Amino acid sequence: MRAHNLLIFAIAFTTLFGGVAVDTFAAQSAAAENEAPTILQLTRDASLILATACLECHGSDPKGGLDLRTRASAMKGGHSGRAIVPGSGQDSLLLHRVRAHEMPPKHPLTKAQIASLKQWIEAGASFPKEPLNPFAVTSDRRAGYDWWSLQPLQEVSPPDAASIPPDWQQNTIDRFIHAKLQSEGLSPSPPASPRVLIRRATYDLTGLPPAPADVEKFVQDCEQETSEFNTVGPRTYESLINRLLASPHYGEHWGRHWLDIVRFGESNGFERNVIITNAWPFRDYVIRSFNEDKPFDQFIKEHLAGDVIAPGVPEVSVGTTFLVCGPYDNVGNQDPVQAAQIRADTIDEMIRATTSAFLGFTVGCSRCHDHKFDPISQRDYYRLYATFAGVQHGDRELSIEPDPDVAGRINSIKSKLVEIDRQLFRFEPIASTTDSSGRKNVVQRVRPAVNSRRNSERIIPTAARFLRFEVGATNSGEPCIDELEVFTVETGEGQSRNIASTPGTKLTSSGNYQGNPKHQLKHVNDGEHGNSQSWISNESGGGWVQLEFPQKVSVERIVWGRDREGEYSDRLPTEYSIKVSADGHEWQTVASSVDRIAYEGEASSNENPLAVGLEAQQNPIVVRQLESRRQLTQDLAELQKQLAPPRWWVGQFNQNDGPYHVFLGGSTQRKGDAVQPASLQLVDAPTAEFRLGSEAPEPQRRMALARWMTSADQPITPRVLANRLWHYHFGTGIVNTPSDFGFMGGRPSHPQLLDWLALELQRQNWRLKPMHKLLMLSQTYRQASTYRADAARIDGESRLLWRFPPRRLSAEEIRDSMLSIAGKLDIRQGGPGFRLFRYVQDNVATYYPLETHGPETYRRAVYHHNARAMHVDLMTDFDSPDCAFSTPRRAATTTPLQALSLLNHQFTIDMADFLAQRVRRRAEEDGSKPIELAFRFAFSRLPDENESRAANRLVEQHGLRALCRALLNANELIYLN
Amino acid sequence: MNTQSNDVSQSDQLTRRAMLGSVYSGLAAIGLSHLQAAEARGGTPRAYDAHSRHYFPKAERVLQIFCPGAASHIDLWEYKPELTKRHGQPLPGEGNFSSFQGKNGNLMRSPWPFVSCGESGKQISSMLPHMARHVDDIAFIHSMTSKSNTHGPGCIFMNTGHATEGFPSAGAWLSYALGSENENLPAYVAIPDLRGEPPNGKANWSNGFLPARHQGVMLSAQQSIRNLKTPSSVQDAEDEATREFLQELNQRHAIANPGNTDLYARIAAYELAARMQLSAPEVSDLSAESQSTHRTYGTDSTNKYLAGYAKNCLLARRLLERGVRYVNLYCAARASGVDGKLNWDAHKTLKADYERHCPIFDQPTAALLTDLNQRGLLDDTLVLWTTEFGRMPTHQQGTAGRDHNPDGFTCWMMGAGIQGGAVHGTTDDFGRRAIGTPTTVWDFYATVLHLVGLDHERVTYYHNGLNRRITDVHGELIHEILA
Repeated sequence: MRAHNLLIFAIAFTTLFGGVAVDTFAAQSAAAENEAPTILQLTRDASLILATACLECHGSDPKGGLDLRTRASAMKGGHSGRAIVPGSGQDSLLLHRVRAHEMPPKHPLTKAQIASLKQWIEAGASFPKEPLNPFAVTSDRRAGYDWWSLQPLQEVSPPDAASIPPDWQQNTIDRFIHAKLQSEGLSPSPPASPRVLIRRATYDLTGLPPAPADVEKFVQDCEQETSEFNTVGPRTYESLINRLLASPHYGEHWGRHWLDIVRFGESNGFERNVIITNAWPFRDYVIRSFNEDKPFDQFIKEHLAGDVIAPGVPEVSVGTTFLVCGPYDNVGNQDPVQAAQIRADTIDEMIRATTSAFLGFTVGCSRCHDHKFDPISQRDYYRLYATFAGVQHGDRELSIEPDPDVAGRINSIKSKLVEIDRQLFRFEPIASTTDSSGRKNVVQRVRPAVNSRRNSERIIPTAARFLRFEVGATNSGEPCIDELEVFTVETGEGQSRNIASTPGTKLTSSGNYQGNPKHQLKHVNDGEHGNSQSWISNESGGGWVQLEFPQKVSVERIVWGRDREGEYSDRLPTEYSIKVSADGHEWQTVASSVDRIAYEGEASSNENPLAVGLEAQQNPIVVRQLESRRQLTQDLAELQKQLAPPRWWVGQFNQNDGPYHVFLGGSTQRKGDAVQPASLQLVDAPTAEFRLGSEAPEPQRRMALARWMTSADQPITPRVLANRLWHYHFGTGIVNTPSDFGFMGGRPSHPQLLDWLALELQRQNWRLKPMHKLLMLSQTYRQASTYRADAARIDGESRLLWRFPPRRLSAEEIRDSMLSIAGKLDIRQGGPGFRLFRYVQDNVATYYPLETHGPETYRRAVYHHNARAMHVDLMTDFDSPDCAFSTPRRAATTTPLQALSLLNHQFTIDMADFLAQRVRRRAEEDGSKPIELAFRFAFSRLPDENESRAANRLVEQHGLRALCRALLNANELIYLN
Repeated sequence: MNTQSNDVSQSDQLTRRAMLGSVYSGLAAIGLSHLQAAEARGGTPRAYDAHSRHYFPKAERVLQIFCPGAASHIDLWEYKPELTKRHGQPLPGEGNFSSFQGKNGNLMRSPWPFVSCGESGKQISSMLPHMARHVDDIAFIHSMTSKSNTHGPGCIFMNTGHATEGFPSAGAWLSYALGSENENLPAYVAIPDLRGEPPNGKANWSNGFLPARHQGVMLSAQQSIRNLKTPSSVQDAEDEATREFLQELNQRHAIANPGNTDLYARIAAYELAARMQLSAPEVSDLSAESQSTHRTYGTDSTNKYLAGYAKNCLLARRLLERGVRYVNLYCAARASGVDGKLNWDAHKTLKADYERHCPIFDQPTAALLTDLNQRGLLDDTLVLWTTEFGRMPTHQQGTAGRDHNPDGFTCWMMGAGIQGGAVHGTTDDFGRRAIGTPTTVWDFYATVLHLVGLDHERVTYYHNGLNRRITDVHGELIHEILA
């Protein structure tokens, strides 16, 4: 544990000096005041100069060989000679260099500092006992442990000057804001009108425009409550906020903010950029958590260790998708050095994502060296590295408590299916065979063409010890068989059972596809269906696989397929023969493709995969049985879905026992000191500090980090979160770099308010909804956004909030609004995302933007399948991020390309058409004027006289669609006051 | 970057102008400066002071030709007699080492002879007869190295100075630093190949964390700018009336909401878009070029890939001529299921692959360079030829191809500010590794920025805790190749 309660200088000095006792030091220092500086004072001054001006280079990774951290190392000097000669300034190279302003480069010392160093050297150049620590105190070039954002949260009493008007006294936030405005000679703006405020609040909490009827009702209710025109009624407003917070759209909108921060993406990025189709449950989890108002500390813990917190509950375990939803390189590299570096890059990505989302510190900058600006050592970085060392990208089956009732129903359906198949089997035509001379009989093609799912071969029962499936041709590439089943006659019953997988059956083949664990010989009779457990030969268009049974059996049926899950239809054997033998020498063909209808591409997937004879398909018994089979199969799939543990993109966790090292210069080939999974030393949070052995169980490491991240005495996480809330409500955070609370980040405009909010967040048990309400009920939030030149001269961006800062809507808000205004928004929640691209994958993936967006895409933009490195019309142009990195704040750029896509993409034309239809329909229903309706739908207001006139002219000449297209492009629509 | 007070006074002025003028008057003048002002307002702390140069520039614009798939240095640009001599012998000191795809075999000579070119006598592959004419004007950098041996990271490293995604590409940095020379066209155009996008696709011309207007706009002879055309269901008269009404609506809204320069920026953006709708088809209309030009470039070739790339070369010249700041032109595409078919990634059949790719590249590129030269454009246009890394001097075990080699490869520069015929650095006798001081992608871009009048250490943008640069924390000028 590192003690650094650095509120007063003497204590700061203690940290700097490590072991020097505070009391001794303080006493001597005080006694020395009006006298010539004591050794101790000289040492103190010199240490400060060395620590803040020299150690960045002459510390742990010493440049020029000179390490100035301890007396011993300093006396050794560097490559250029003796840096310090005690008692002799003249002979000390250090003094020459600083005097010549050669050192420190670009930042020369002051005369006073140089004089201090000279005095100190001449007095003997004594050092404190402990090595100097460059992180101890903040300088003009970097942050130390005394940096503002690392200090404990301060209980502050809000300003309560009498000069604050009564309206601004009630909400604590207003007192802070008003006091600051006053001190800068500013005054707040009057309250916003009901119409402005409902639009602002509705977008703010739900990302959608208010329904025109809701606007009218709100305006009326306000009027009723206040008996005044155009004045917001506090009770009406509060109930509006309550209603919006309870809306499921709240989670969709605020969930989207969070997805930005955690760089959620649904393709792996890099060269292959393959789509990930089972990461969406995380998006739903985020939305659900916001809607449920899950305590945020819990939410954070689930992100790091959901699998540990609730092992049997997929809805919680899914939190760890956070760790693995960033981009990663999965091309595979046989060069061991490069492969190690790629793995290090992958963990680095997790470290950056974690520390920027929760901590607001750029810990990633300490990968190659100690942080240049913040007190984060390289060691700290590799402590996190060790913590995440067992995390791998990928999906995993999540455990689930099975429902015994469902399991029972599954078994009953399965036995019914067996019975049906047995009955249907009787109607299958018997496969024609070759005659004894081996010459093919002249046969009719009466059996159905082969298909990739399942092919059945009914044969005259034949005794066999060996069975061989020989491929003569495929529809493409090397043949694939996912399962080969062999059924035998059993005495009396006429029942058969698959004996291909009985123990003792020997498998051989002509040759096997190399290098992919999915395709192995053993999969051909392992009872598992689908491409992922299949056999592929090593020969294009040919090859054979053979079963040798433990004893002779009487075969009556063979069933095989290329992919019974129906995903793949390539590599299908289109010409084949099945041969049996009793001794392995004499072979007899029992079935082949000769009597099947020639293969001409895959039949539609709905077709019955059972190979019932063509004539038999007309038979009423067959028709009935096939229908019940279809129904039962469907029921079975439904039930199995319920029972099947979900396989989601939540990462894989493997034990990894280290040892772990610092990688010097970030290179995996240059190992430095050993490190363990442990908490960061950046801040004092004694209750949850941890240091685990290298062999500590993997889940325990992440859980320990999760606890540390959210422990009550760790001040950064709540500060960062409170600031994010402020950022999204007011457009700019109290700290305007929401993921960087370090030296390079912004300074808080209202530091005390930030601490008060962070503490309030903790008091509210980390629930966000009360915080939203607190912020939104403030007078600060409810101000008009009207521009005032006098105030703008002092505070142009309204950082101090003399008005509510107007903003442009986000890409998602724009698209959702267009859909909503056109009356087409599909509000279904959750599930796999829709796609605004065509996905093409060969060796790598390509995403082609769609020219038209059909109704299946009319859902909220948060449900778009969020792949990386693709261009999505409208969305990309309006700064929807690519999520290669965390995006703590969206840009709001203005470009001609935006204008082009918003004017000309078919989506806008479609929405304009729909809006026009909506307007016409409503006009017919209630006799309203179409132009007034269009304005109300789009802007929640009526047009004024000029606008009416111009709109009329446009509609008369070019129709209602033209007007609607213009309204959907209007600034009024995409800017919010 | 404008200060806040500038912004305010500017917007006051604009409001007055807007109130006095009709919808269209004065808007052209507002144009880009307004977009920039808007960007500045949303800007970040301690950002780079855009739109001013640090030095007198040699180049006004840049053409970057990119051959994705790792075009082999030792089969195209850097002659290695020792490799020919020791064909079939093990690579000294490295035996059967492993690289990207696995084990390597013995040394393999280039399948074609190298020939002396120009006055300098510099030898390049006989597979590039047209390019041979330009060798005296080219400055070769034979000691390039990459951080990555994988195509995707390698390509974006070569384009952005970072091997991970999310960083701005060189064109985006130049658009950010220098703005546009022609408001009616994008400042930065990416021209993907007829065969598809390069590895890592659009990340290669991404704006990264820079504002969206610095993104490379995709445009090729085969595909126009997205959403450029007014949809066919909208008549011209309707379109015009709609826009006029829209601008009027926006004007009124802007007047009613003073103090928000973004509103005017957006009005200006619609004007710019309208002008782009006129300019972009004009620049893409290759029929305006003479028949002999077409023939010289090879747009009439029966090889559709050659013809496709030739058209893109011609398009590149037309863009540069009209002041597009940065053109990122691709010759080949991503990795395909069959190695080396869609790009320069010759793992198995080097000879067949390069006999496919070299002719596609050679004639059109050479014609483009000649054309630029004849029109005087090379005086202030810098041409870069790049690829993500090189190839091994050995053959890949069991094949007649070469694996990836990030330890030594060739890039070159030509045109404004470049010493023609210069050669910087070299690889060892076989082309395995750069020797002496290796040249990095950061050195490469430090030099490019220098040539356009920028100090690479001062072109920065604050992002997540750092003032980011294309050269990360590195970058040394390559003095030897400067004129």
